[in-house]
Amino acid sequence: MTIETSNQCMTAAAAKALLQQGLSCQVNSDLPPQFQVGDLVRARVVHPATYTRLPRYVRGKVGTVMQDHGVYVFPDTVGQLLATKPQHVYSVRFPAQALWGPAAPASDALYLDLFDDHLEGP
Amino acid sequence: MNGPHDLGGMQGLGAIPIEENEPVFHSAWEAKVFAMSFATFSTFFPVDETRHAAERIPAGEYLSASYYERWLAALELLLTEHGWLTPAEIEDRITHLRQTES
Amino acid sequence: MTTHHHRPESEIALRVKAIESLLVEKGIVDPAALDTIIEHYEHQVGPHVGAQIVAKAWVDPDFKRRLLADGTGAIAELGLTGFSSEHMIVVANTATVHNLIVCTLCSCYPWAILGLPPTWYKSLAYRSRAVIEPRSVLAEFGLVLPDTVEVCVWDSNADLRYLVLPERPDGAEGLSEEALAALVTRNAMIGTAKVEPPTSPTPIAA
Repeated sequence: MTIETSNQCMTAAAAKALLQQGLSCQVNSDLPPQFQVGDLVRARVVHPATYTRLPRYVRGKVGTVMQDHGVYVFPDTVGQLLATKPQHVYSVRFPAQALWGPAAPASDALYLDLFDDHLEGP
Repeated sequence: MNGPHDLGGMQGLGAIPIEENEPVFHSAWEAKVFAMSFATFSTFFPVDETRHAAERIPAGEYLSASYYERWLAALELLLTEHGWLTPAEIEDRITHLRQTES
Repeated sequence: MTTHHHRPESEIALRVKAIESLLVEKGIVDPAALDTIIEHYEHQVGPHVGAQIVAKAWVDPDFKRRLLADGTGAIAELGLTGFSSEHMIVVANTATVHNLIVCTLCSCYPWAILGLPPTWYKSLAYRSRAVIEPRSVLAEFGLVLPDTVEVCVWDSNADLRYLVLPERPDGAEGLSEEALAALVTRNAMIGTAKVEPPTSPTPIAA
């Protein structure tokens, strides 16, 4: 494990501060993005037995990068106390029919925020 | 993990349970479970570790538990895995409380 | 479904009390902090916060532009950020686009903007169905959308939190920002309802 926690009891004042200020997961970084807005991307076909924010229903499906949200810590490794592994997060648009087949309305779409490590070229 | 939490697209889970004018918490214990979890967010357990703990609840239990029962199970799992509490300590305290309250 | 408990309530309550007393004794949690946290979510934050943001966007086109371009920044202008709302994306409903928010993997939700989520949002039924059959989910809320409307579902599994900017209803001209905010329901800001005009005889409850 490389992520250490403070293990300090949260006081009422600390709770108030956390409630009001939150806890940013964003990282100041000049790490270059792996993908650009407009790129077609495929959600990786992986089945880790550990923590991941890549839902099963999207694995192997192709979508379009709509927005680059910037660099965030990677929950898949943070959730296991392994590493923060900062990387870009993108809003990826999947047509409903790409996910659910021709019975889905052609007009509808699903948007998912995915990390560099969740994606590959189409 | 391909756990019971990964629900997107699953079928057979019924109608949406819409409750009018529902309270923030339905009981005092729900509020306490929430607050204890929040009070250990980031200080003892990163939020993602608590999410992962909920996912590790056995699938049958996950699917039959209420929302805050899952939070309770996740909190208990992390507290005991990290050695802050032992399962025996919890059971002993329950027994003690039951005796003093009856 | 989520009101079903496989253990009696009294047993769970006792278990929670046992854990709480142990954690307090060991100095892991502070009872005063627990009170602060519960008070915050029971009385401080809630859908009225989001409604304030929506009403401002309806009356202030510049704010609306900033809100849709940079939700986090625009909401911070109003001092309304907080835990689980650190990174905000606001998506606007229009005559041709309807947005719906879900978190399929847990129940991520903009706590500082809408308070804690309702039972239905946390239900297995909503989490499973909103992505595969959003239109039938919306129909259960009494919202039937024509095929000409594009339904966009946002599965918010990462660290970004979402708020729907509903359409301003007809018949709300001349209302103050405060009166407009009073029309905005929680469900309208998740996308399972529209905002009803002020004269509606049977407004849909939040």
